[in-house]
Amino acid sequence: MKTLIFGAGNLILSDEGFGVHCINYLAERYQFPEEIELYDGGTLGIMVTHKIEEAERVFIVDTVDTAGEPGDIFRYEKDDIMLNRLPVKLSPHQIGIQEMLFISELRGGCPANVSLVGVIPATLDPGNELSPPLCDKLPRVAGLIVDELRGLGYEIREKQQNVLH
Amino acid sequence: MSKRITLDPITRIEGHLRVDVEVNGGQVSKAWSSAQMWRGIEVILKGRDPQDAWSYAQRFCGVCTTVHAISSIRSVENALNVEVPLNAQYIRNIMIAQHSVQDHIVHFYHLSALDWVDIVSALKADPKKTASIAQSISDWPGNSEKEFKAVQDKLKKFVEGGQLGIFASGYWGHPAMKLPPEVNLLAVAHYLKALDYQRKAAQAVAILGGKNPHIQNLVVGGVATAVNMDNLATLNMERIAYLKELMTETRDFVQKVYYPDLVAIGSFYRDWFRHGAGVTNYLAVPEFAEDTRNTKFALNGGIIYNGDLATFKPINDHQDQALIQGITEGVAHAWYEGADSLHPWDGETKPEYTDFQENGKYSWCKSPRFNGKAMQVGPPAQILASYAAGNPLVKKVVDATNAKLGIGLKEYHSTMGRLVARGLRAHVMADLSLTYLDKLVDNIGKGDTAYANNTEIPSGEYKGVGFHEAPRGTLSHWMVIDKKKIKNYQAVVPSTWNASPRDEHGQPGPYEASLVGNPVAMADQPLEVLRTVHSFDPCIACAVHTIDPAGKEITKVKVL
Repeated sequence: MKTLIFGAGNLILSDEGFGVHCINYLAERYQFPEEIELYDGGTLGIMVTHKIEEAERVFIVDTVDTAGEPGDIFRYEKDDIMLNRLPVKLSPHQIGIQEMLFISELRGGCPANVSLVGVIPATLDPGNELSPPLCDKLPRVAGLIVDELRGLGYEIREKQQNVLH
Repeated sequence: MSKRITLDPITRIEGHLRVDVEVNGGQVSKAWSSAQMWRGIEVILKGRDPQDAWSYAQRFCGVCTTVHAISSIRSVENALNVEVPLNAQYIRNIMIAQHSVQDHIVHFYHLSALDWVDIVSALKADPKKTASIAQSISDWPGNSEKEFKAVQDKLKKFVEGGQLGIFASGYWGHPAMKLPPEVNLLAVAHYLKALDYQRKAAQAVAILGGKNPHIQNLVVGGVATAVNMDNLATLNMERIAYLKELMTETRDFVQKVYYPDLVAIGSFYRDWFRHGAGVTNYLAVPEFAEDTRNTKFALNGGIIYNGDLATFKPINDHQDQALIQGITEGVAHAWYEGADSLHPWDGETKPEYTDFQENGKYSWCKSPRFNGKAMQVGPPAQILASYAAGNPLVKKVVDATNAKLGIGLKEYHSTMGRLVARGLRAHVMADLSLTYLDKLVDNIGKGDTAYANNTEIPSGEYKGVGFHEAPRGTLSHWMVIDKKKIKNYQAVVPSTWNASPRDEHGQPGPYEASLVGNPVAMADQPLEVLRTVHSFDPCIACAVHTIDPAGKEITKVKVL
């Protein structure tokens, strides 16, 4: 089974890039089996729909615009997306992800299991680093995904970290 | 009595654009275009290494990644007067052309078609009739009755299951929708199919660029795509054969599906060749460099004033001083400090937000001008400039299309004209992709295996500009290098030219001007306004606020 971890967002608008930061964090710290692909989808939305269709299980990491505190973590499943129950966020790729999944479903290409893990951003100002509250949450979101993947039977090893760093 | 309508945001995909229109007697009397998000990304490039700028620059925009990388790398090459080997030019040209093909397919089907195509009406179509219409306009093999029936059945299930989801807010049944059910079904089927072909174009870019959506293969002075026909780790015969297969398939889709669909839809909406002209001054830069110094190009650039091809002044290369000196950006109505128009090398990005003041500052977008004039950029500019210059590639497709649609060149100054020009551009790009692949193979066959002139950044001050005729129009990146670091960086992007607010002389930008006179049948469903704005392929998402003359909101509708 091929599983795709899709990081969405814009790396140069600080917290907007949370999904991509998460992919980079996972790649640095863990050794994934070949059937798992970490993908930096940027803000392309509909132009990368094929990546979703090629997978059998998809996790999308993104930011969401909903009530709560910066760094609050939310999770949505495919039904939420198809019935338009996602909180529309204020980001440059606003409609991309939902439209992408919807068209895929209409084409009969959308995998049965699609989960979206979203965090509330603190800032969308220009900058290539996450804000402190989101920086704090990054290991937790990454950990949630790794635990779930292990639960699905994947063997995921932690990479040796260089202690001098 | 006039009504005020606010559309915010208006694109289907990228960033935030707000458009305010005042409607009088069923048509737009005044319009304001306002970019709602500050993207002062230039600021984060200051102090970085010039040779790394392109990899940041391709995150400027969520859709057109490749184009900013190309413009950025060219700005360094221009500053340091670096030649680019032919193989690298050909590889860049293939990436540029395939990126355009992908971008235009997605714009036509996914970002603008639903302004013209009524999904719900497609449910009433006879799939057999749809197939016979499709087969009468194209010999593409995917147009069977079975295919159309399957799409219609799937669509029915969705509508019955209440799963129209994000499409639920579309303007289905709007009086301005004119296509017969059969043509709507045709377009919806191709809307779904188009995703397979935009993917092939993305794959082609990835073969050369190393990765998609963000390419990895640029270096100052060329590309990092090693070419060796016999080495499996590089661009070899097998990869080139695969590239050719992918690009042939996308070409067939563009020429046998997208293009006939466009002509069919255009012929049902002839009145839209009369709306939406706006600013008819055009600017395009030459593209597809065919020598190592960016002086010889396949498609022409130039300036046209007032829609009159007799005023055509060619821009022959990327070093054209009249072009370089003529561009300024003003902030009289933009949320930046001051009111001056500055040349991009002297440009500043100092935000000063007020709020939306229709006679004051009302946008994050600056006002680019050429010799003080507002200019429209994009496919019509490139097509008209090339036509005026007598370019045989462009002349052939334009003449054939005009004959099919019964239109002349003046119909290109319109909402539908912009869609037609974009389709023609895609047509030409699909062919050029294959041309440059042949040229690449040929050149390597002659023994030229150079793909980069490795370049060190010298100390001292250098200024450069990288021009690129991108899918949305003329793009330029302006870089000042000092002590091996970036001292100033400004990007003058196509959507800034087109979405520009008024300037210090009160001249409106192309979006604003094009909306004046647009019909609006229903103030609470301003579909016609979307048609014109979407025709520019705005790159800067949608809720509609209808506001009464006292400024009170009557209704708010989300538009995708």
